[in-house]
Amino acid sequence: MSCPYLEYKASDDGHDFDHERPYCTASGQFVSPMRADICNDRHDFHHEVDCEIYREAAGTDAPAPEPTD
Amino acid sequence: MSYEDYLTDRDVILTVAPTGGVHGKDANPNLPEQPDEIAEQVAACERLGAAIVHLHGRDEHGENDAGRLQAVNDAIRDRCDDIIIQNTTGGQSTFDARVQGIRTDPAPEMASLDMGPFNRGKHIITEHNRHNIDRLAAEMREKDIKPELECFNNGHLNEARRLVERGAIEEPYYVNLIFGHGTFTPPTPENVLNMVANLPENTEFNLLAVGRHQLPLTTLSVILGGHVRVGMEDNLYYRRGEPVEDNAQLVERTARIVDLLDCDLATPDEARERLGMN
Repeated sequence: MSCPYLEYKASDDGHDFDHERPYCTASGQFVSPMRADICNDRHDFHHEVDCEIYREAAGTDAPAPEPTD
Repeated sequence: MSYEDYLTDRDVILTVAPTGGVHGKDANPNLPEQPDEIAEQVAACERLGAAIVHLHGRDEHGENDAGRLQAVNDAIRDRCDDIIIQNTTGGQSTFDARVQGIRTDPAPEMASLDMGPFNRGKHIITEHNRHNIDRLAAEMREKDIKPELECFNNGHLNEARRLVERGAIEEPYYVNLIFGHGTFTPPTPENVLNMVANLPENTEFNLLAVGRHQLPLTTLSVILGGHVRVGMEDNLYYRRGEPVEDNAQLVERTARIVDLLDCDLATPDEARERLGMN
């Protein structure tokens, strides 16, 4: 299952392509090829686990605990 | 290889990495992604002196797809004269996807072989474990594919030595020293010197550096008797604020530097001979 924030589009405010490319609606940016593997849950990746953008948008990316002395 | 090697009359092997698997056309619209546009840019680079091309495959959306390496290889054989094809087996995909880089028909003359994992994003570690490295090395040896050992940090030199000690690879060993951010070796001249000093015996080395470090550190590699890799996989800017127009622009600059340093660029056949390729 692909990420719910993933879309394929050919343009945004700063780009105009002759083909559709992966776009992250959570970050408002086109997605790099390596991140697109995660968006599409390829190669044993799972966006719910492996994508910090999804996890932040979904509220599941708890910050690392502050070190304590 | 050393400064003494630079001082003698020698050839420099120039590898162009035109596409890679990291950037898309959204980062630089001049990045070639599809087989024909990759081949067109590589042909121009070959005319300028590139002897090896390091290749990745992309699908119609610009996403990584090792299955497209066959089409990229075919297009390059159609458009280019004699450039050595080096397919990737690296990246963050599974072994079954990455091994496609050495299962094209015909097989590539060379392939990259990552010497260990590195971090990506916040949650990713690539799965270049020893089991996968050994499997790839064995299949490359069986198919007479020359491996380029990708050393992303100095610990990976230990892994290269492990392959040497196992007799898994043949001399001369070809090591690619990688400098950049994250898990890569920090890009400083001091680290280049240290990495070169720790190479196994009978090693030829290549150097790639990411972004603005590409120009100075590849130049240093030549002076240390090494070889160079340039291209848009590693660097999308010709200089600060000026996007690269095409891969030939980077190759032309490097060819000019090599000439100014009184070296020659190796032809593909000279590269084959130097690297012990049949």
